[in-house]
Amino acid sequence: MSRNWQPEFEKLVDEHQSMVFSLALRMTGDRGLAEEIAQDVFLELDRHLNKIESPAHACFWLRRVAMSRSADALRKRRVRGVDLWVEIDENHGAQAEEHASPLGARLEQLLATLPEPQRAALVLRYQEDLTPEEIAATLEQPVATVKSHLQRGLKLLRAKAASHLREFIRPGKRIGGSLSDG
Amino acid sequence: MDDFEQELRRALERRLAPLSLKRKVMERRRWRRMQLHGHAALWQRLAASLLLVAVLGGAWKWRQAEEERRRGEAAREQVLTALRITSHALDEVNSRLAAHDRAGQE
Repeated sequence: MSRNWQPEFEKLVDEHQSMVFSLALRMTGDRGLAEEIAQDVFLELDRHLNKIESPAHACFWLRRVAMSRSADALRKRRVRGVDLWVEIDENHGAQAEEHASPLGARLEQLLATLPEPQRAALVLRYQEDLTPEEIAATLEQPVATVKSHLQRGLKLLRAKAASHLREFIRPGKRIGGSLSDG
Repeated sequence: MDDFEQELRRALERRLAPLSLKRKVMERRRWRRMQLHGHAALWQRLAASLLLVAVLGGAWKWRQAEEERRRGEAAREQVLTALRITSHALDEVNSRLAAHDRAGQE
């Protein structure tokens, strides 16, 4: 890789703050915690700035560390005995107002109830538009495991949507025509 | 990608980060750098103090050794002087004895 590229910290924060914040928010379901995680991720980037080789590497690095720090935060909460699912549900409820589409808000709420590995895979797939191979590299997991999380997560989300989002189903057309497909 | 996945993609569009995020990151970064700079200055002062102590200790040690060497040299000079005096006295005694012997033979 070319080492002619010199990372500019402030520019990297400008470019990637939404990505890092959104990943942390969707993994933790808590705006305050997501902001703290995003700050920590960027400060860690500052410490490792000399190891960043290109803009793509910076993006990959930020995604990986954001996911890892979010998983750590969830683990700490579990150790503290916080009822995460109830909390995520409540927080996402509060965030629903931010969504332009009520269906989008409900889908995001349902996503928050998925098990963490499946949620991580789905967030990287549909928020960041990554391929299973890229997700595997980001989460440091085998590609087969990632594919399995994606399939199971999507199946579970479809099932939940089928039972919880009936009001959005128009007669003769399910959400996207495939709401309850396996 | 089916319609459900398209809907999911729309639902999972990136959210705007809070406006305060960048400011907080830059403040924490500045604070951390100041602390690092403070630690670095502390270590530099400590290293400079240790160096000064080492230099002073070395100088004192060198001065002690030099003093010791100078005293040894003086003692050696004294011994040599004493030996020279003794040698001179012995030569004197020897020449007097030789003169005495010569007088006895005549």
